[in-house]
Amino acid sequence: MNQSDEPPPFLGTWKRVYTLVLIYVAALITLLYVFSAVTAP
Amino acid sequence: MKPLDWVVMFGWLTFLVSYGLWRGRKSGTVNDYMLAGRTMPWYAMGLSIMATQASAITFISTTGQSYVDGMRFVQFYFGLPVAMVILSATAVPIFHRAKVYTAYEYLENRFDAKTRALVSAIFLIQRGLAAGLALYAPAVVLSVILGWSDQTTTILMGSLVVLYTTTGGIKAITWADVQQMAVIFVALILALFMAIHLMPDEVSFLDAVTLAGAFGKLKAVDTHFDWNNRYNLWSGLIGGMFLALAYFGCDQSQVQRYLTGKSIAQSRLSLLFNAMAKIPMQFFILFIGAMVFVLFMFVKPPVIFHPVEMGRIAQSVEYKPVEDRYNAAFEARKQAAQRYLDAKHRGATSPADLEELRSTQRNFDAARQDGAKLVDKARGSAGFNDTNYIFLSFVTNYLPAGVVGLIIAVIFSAAMSAVSGEINSLATVTVIDVYKRHFRKSATDRHYLWASRIATVFWGVYAVIFAGRGGGFGALIEAVNMIGSLFYGGMLGVFVLAFFFPRVGANGAFAGVIAGEAAIFAANRFTSISFLWYNVIGCLVVLATGVLVSKLEPARTAS
Repeated sequence: MNQSDEPPPFLGTWKRVYTLVLIYVAALITLLYVFSAVTAP
Repeated sequence: MKPLDWVVMFGWLTFLVSYGLWRGRKSGTVNDYMLAGRTMPWYAMGLSIMATQASAITFISTTGQSYVDGMRFVQFYFGLPVAMVILSATAVPIFHRAKVYTAYEYLENRFDAKTRALVSAIFLIQRGLAAGLALYAPAVVLSVILGWSDQTTTILMGSLVVLYTTTGGIKAITWADVQQMAVIFVALILALFMAIHLMPDEVSFLDAVTLAGAFGKLKAVDTHFDWNNRYNLWSGLIGGMFLALAYFGCDQSQVQRYLTGKSIAQSRLSLLFNAMAKIPMQFFILFIGAMVFVLFMFVKPPVIFHPVEMGRIAQSVEYKPVEDRYNAAFEARKQAAQRYLDAKHRGATSPADLEELRSTQRNFDAARQDGAKLVDKARGSAGFNDTNYIFLSFVTNYLPAGVVGLIIAVIFSAAMSAVSGEINSLATVTVIDVYKRHFRKSATDRHYLWASRIATVFWGVYAVIFAGRGGGFGALIEAVNMIGSLFYGGMLGVFVLAFFFPRVGANGAFAGVIAGEAAIFAANRFTSISFLWYNVIGCLVVLATGVLVSKLEPARTAS
């Protein structure tokens, strides 16, 4: 098998893994924004 | 430090070095020494990449930065996960398929020898400077704990690192990093727990968060765009992404880590693991700094966190009025904080309460500034900065025996890991891109292995010499990123040309790098644009110049 075609161990394709990572980051930044707003005086 | 701390510290360091050497004992070829025989699993590479970044500077400086400036520094990492996704899809498979030892080797395949030589030289300059700074951090630790000079401790640490790196190669470094990250997590949790535990009984965790928030220390996201503001959402997302693309895509100290992977999938997973873990980890470290800030509202810290300078100014006849003013400012701030919390508990805070609280902080800062001026006067130089001593002051003065030793051991081993990885990559580029390419094209594997070891010693000595200048920088973490940003834009631009602009030739790439670096240094010299944007500016100038020169070239040839 060509190394570049090797699938990820989860989610089936690399495209789906990348999408998951980007969604996770967007959620994390949103969470930090909410944290900043909630802890502001 | 107490005897138990010494036992914990030396016990951990002995284990770490021994374990690394044992795992790297079979590094008998250049392929083993530089790329671990391309056998590494994703978790070892991922933790090693994380450990290289979580250097001693991270512990010493990031916590201090949060204490002084709040948590906005976390935005610096917002672009990193995006960069990791881009690199997983592009650079990782390209470098793996090219079967190169260094990223710059690939540039000769794609462009020509002069482009490879230019970018290798840029890497050697900037990474050599950064390695010196990373070595300076543990010197700070030792000078605080033992009262030694920075120079003595730098030479001692540098010698240990060179010994460790020269014998074990990247396999030793990587496996030692895996152990190190486990202890780092334990030490971080302990430090946060102790910062909260040491607060007065009447101050709960939520009260501590309330106070930190009142001083703006917990403002992690700033959506206001400003070219000159170093850390906001946009500079973090865009500038941080470009910096991370350059760091993980063009800097041999990182590229070499994922080149050790046994497959493209394993290397990709190591980068994506970092994409997921980096922001939470930095948030956690910055949060410790914010909690130490709140702790020091109720437990009086020294006027100056640098113990040697503090001892020196305490002997001065001018110190007494400064100390009196400082004590009064501390008490006023403590009372104001307590009143603010009481009002908060009653649900009756007013803007006046907040203004009073912030006013006492300004007085407290001014009193501390008076102490800093005494240090400046004693030193005969301006601009004393003790940010890098804040966390150490907390650790050594307030944490229990055993925990102090563990955290100091973590700082030591983090520094050893970061510096060993850096000088290993510097040695690799020196041998593969300079010595083997230009001076000795054909020799035995054993010859190049020994050349690598000699190069490792050379770069270790270089780092020690440069580290002697580390004290001149402010917060170390910013100094490292600043140095990187001066060079990364040009490097990133040429790799983007290589990957995505097939019509751009060698002359376009070479001219692009020169123009990109000129633009970055001009921005640094003549504008106040935040350094995070240098990577964007440099990269775009490289792309524009590269494309333009390549378009003009055929016409000139034809004419």
